[in-house]
Amino acid sequence: MALLEVNDLKTHFFTREGVVQAVDGVSFTLEKGKTLGIVGESGCGKSVTALSIMGLIPKPPAKIVGGDVLFDGKDLTMMSEGQLQHVRGNEIAMIFQDPMTSLNPTLKIGTQITETILAHKDVSKQDARKRAVELLQEVGIPRAAERLDDYPHRFSGGMRQRVMIAIALSCSPRLLIADEPTTALDVTIQAQILDLLDELRQEHEMAMILITHDMGVVAETADDVIIMYAGQIVEKASGFELFDNPEHPYTEALLGALPQLEGEEHEIREGRLTAIPGRPPDLVNPPEACRFAARCPYSDSGDTCATVEPQLREIRPGHWVRTAHPASERSGERETVNA
Amino acid sequence: MAVDRREAAIPVAAPPTTTTEHAAGAAIRQSSLWQDAWRRYMQNKAAVASAIIFVIICLYCLLIPGFWKIPGIWTSLKDYDPNAVDFSASYAGFSLDHPFSTDKFGRDLFARVAVGGQISIAIGFAATFMILVIGVVYGSISGFLGGKVDNGMMRFLDALYGLPYLPFAIITTQILSPSGSVSVWTMVVALTIASWFTAARVVRGQVITLKENDYVRAAKAVGARWYRVLARHLLPNTLGILVIAIFLELPGVVLGEAFLSFIGLGINPPTASWGSIAQDGREAYRLHPEVLFIPCIAIATLVLCANFIADGLRDALDPRTRES
Amino acid sequence: MSSETASSNGALLKVDNLEKHFPIKRGILWERTVGAVKAVDGVTFEVAKGETLGLVGESGSGKSTTGYCILQLVKPTAGSINFMGKELMQLGREELRRMRREMQIVFQDPYASLDPRMTVGGIVAEPLEVHGIGTRRSRGETVRRLLDIVGFNPQFTNRYPHEFSGGQRQRIGVARALALNPKLIVCDEPVSALDVSIQAQILNLLKDLQRDFGLTYLFISHDLAVVRTMSDRIAVMNQGKLVEVGTAEQVFHEPRDEYTKALFAAVPVPDPHRQRERKAERARLRKESRAAAGGTAPA
Repeated sequence: MALLEVNDLKTHFFTREGVVQAVDGVSFTLEKGKTLGIVGESGCGKSVTALSIMGLIPKPPAKIVGGDVLFDGKDLTMMSEGQLQHVRGNEIAMIFQDPMTSLNPTLKIGTQITETILAHKDVSKQDARKRAVELLQEVGIPRAAERLDDYPHRFSGGMRQRVMIAIALSCSPRLLIADEPTTALDVTIQAQILDLLDELRQEHEMAMILITHDMGVVAETADDVIIMYAGQIVEKASGFELFDNPEHPYTEALLGALPQLEGEEHEIREGRLTAIPGRPPDLVNPPEACRFAARCPYSDSGDTCATVEPQLREIRPGHWVRTAHPASERSGERETVNA
Repeated sequence: MAVDRREAAIPVAAPPTTTTEHAAGAAIRQSSLWQDAWRRYMQNKAAVASAIIFVIICLYCLLIPGFWKIPGIWTSLKDYDPNAVDFSASYAGFSLDHPFSTDKFGRDLFARVAVGGQISIAIGFAATFMILVIGVVYGSISGFLGGKVDNGMMRFLDALYGLPYLPFAIITTQILSPSGSVSVWTMVVALTIASWFTAARVVRGQVITLKENDYVRAAKAVGARWYRVLARHLLPNTLGILVIAIFLELPGVVLGEAFLSFIGLGINPPTASWGSIAQDGREAYRLHPEVLFIPCIAIATLVLCANFIADGLRDALDPRTRES
Repeated sequence: MSSETASSNGALLKVDNLEKHFPIKRGILWERTVGAVKAVDGVTFEVAKGETLGLVGESGSGKSTTGYCILQLVKPTAGSINFMGKELMQLGREELRRMRREMQIVFQDPYASLDPRMTVGGIVAEPLEVHGIGTRRSRGETVRRLLDIVGFNPQFTNRYPHEFSGGQRQRIGVARALALNPKLIVCDEPVSALDVSIQAQILNLLKDLQRDFGLTYLFISHDLAVVRTMSDRIAVMNQGKLVEVGTAEQVFHEPRDEYTKALFAAVPVPDPHRQRERKAERARLRKESRAAAGGTAPA
């Protein structure tokens, strides 16, 4: 049985301007010890998906209106807040993007770590402190015992993120959700943090969901990748498979839009990046059929793309795609200019 | 470095559907900042109620005294002359003739409080306006120039803060009107001088924050001279703060005037202001408390409303919720 | 230092030993200067006319400060900046103001770089107004033309910035930078705050504009891949110092400096096969540096 099973999850935001269908039918599974990368641009629903799993969506405007989230067979969407609190931090932990604001500036970091431990485990304060020192050492903070009594502002961005990871690991969770954990960090620090996460994940046999907009980060860390667009999954495959054989026009466009670090000098300087025209659709009134059609170079005008909503289908074993025009079924360069 | 993904992961309001697709697309939202602020203000029930009450009070003060002179409109009601002395009616109690009772001299309080309100509110707005003008000038110079000038100006301000507010105002009134009778303008000037400090500090803070914005740098990069940067970029963006400041300064000034008049060092009878009416009522308040309490209730109501309005405005204009 | 009237080899911009120190002050009543943060610490480079110099570095490297120093938005502590044959540090106020027409900037944050109280048209017209160029009507036309060039619908000159998305706002910023027909544009992280697909739009736009108008760019960014795609030559900064300068080819294929190598090894590349290799490479570099330094602390 998979560790985490998300089935047709739908999360909507009920706002004054209408109902924003932020997550609209997302399904995936995650096995123990594996890493899943969820990639997409702003507004695609990746963060909302993660927050929905944890039950952390702001309840007044947002609501899980459909689907379920099975963690170890138990449905998280059916749990009360009290039951969820037992799960959070203990079995599923989350780390966020901005280490500057995720830590409480008025509490020593030692307190913030031990507070998590004491909330879930029945240990003494001294034992919790000892564990906290161990954790700081594990995440690579030098002079851990001394630094336990420091406040967050005495740490750099990368260090703070390490502290966050320490807090997340404190109760040995089985699943770690990392929402853009390295976006706010310098690239050398980013590499360190990603390497660290990988090491720890292997040591603790943790599964990880890594949410990011950065295809490079995903290429590095993910076993399986999901590409999200406008609240839906548009492509799902293993990491190697996705990058070697992207099927969905959006995936291709995303890869084409990336500035290349490696390649022919002349091509890079003179070449143009594949720009996707237009903007993601309005999620209050999403297009009835394919949500990417308006920006897709392969969409038919007035044909299947505008009328039939493409379903997620398995185009190859383990490789799912939601489009009427996957790369392997396109014959020749048939790019149409859309209205 | 923080890469700020402003197009937030959690949608707060969805943009309307775009139908035209120019290369960069159409506008995603079609409302002005003031419309957004108006809508947010309207959601704050206390603020809306306060605004209505505030307006009612102002209308009452403006209309009641002058209105009676218009023939044919209130002919069925008596002529509420605020200065008509009629000893036979002194302390007459509440009635339809005298909705707010009468004072010692039989003067109708309904009209008198209205007239007093004119003076009190006028002093309030005039002084507030002057406070803001001085505050803006001082604060924007200090904030804009920064460095040693800013330091010096703020230390001077700190020293002034040490002066006790009311004694300072009293001394100023005595200096400005040695003859002993304090005119309205003397009050305005005295109250302004005694309370411009906070406004200056607030404006300075705002200017310093705004100075760091890239659009100010952009204006400098283009070669805009300092007065253009100040007038076109910095001051217009302090407008929000200033509007809020009006309703925060007003209570202080109105209370200041009331208190000074109450203790006899401000507006003197027979000129009516809420403070001087209260002073009149001090003598007999045990037997006829209405003469004292009614102006006090008026003051309290106005002050409370101003505070709620300021609160509502601050929420409505909060830059953090302005975007997204 | 005498002001050079002509640069040696036709360089449009010559920066020599540029320094910007921010004093650290202590004390409550009397402030003493106890030290300085050397944001820019002796930077020297040249930019030829029509080329793009990519200035790359992580946060705190001083790259943005360098850009501001060149534009004299921040007063450098020392050094020389020779632009179009004139020594900027020695210009009088009016002359500097005139020189500003030739050097402009595009900012990183599309939300803070446009005055929320001005209309789009007003923002783009401001440079023209400041320098008294044209009449009101002709300025309006110029503004519409500029907006069209950057791919922004010219009908929307009466709208306000907050009505538009990040990518659209950046286009407005670019239009403003072009208004005075400058020779040099400093691009300070112009796409860092944008989504990948929009980044591509803006980068393509910048490339097109350079080609069409013969612009020279100083392109500042922390994103190596972006810098690679835009630059002819590259300068790498670390903690205020320039650690490597060369053509893009040289710097990317044969980096000489240790920091540069570590930087390149750290950038994630969207290719899982390559990434496995790069990860191994990084582990190797880490072991080497640890052995060399006798144990280093992570950042």
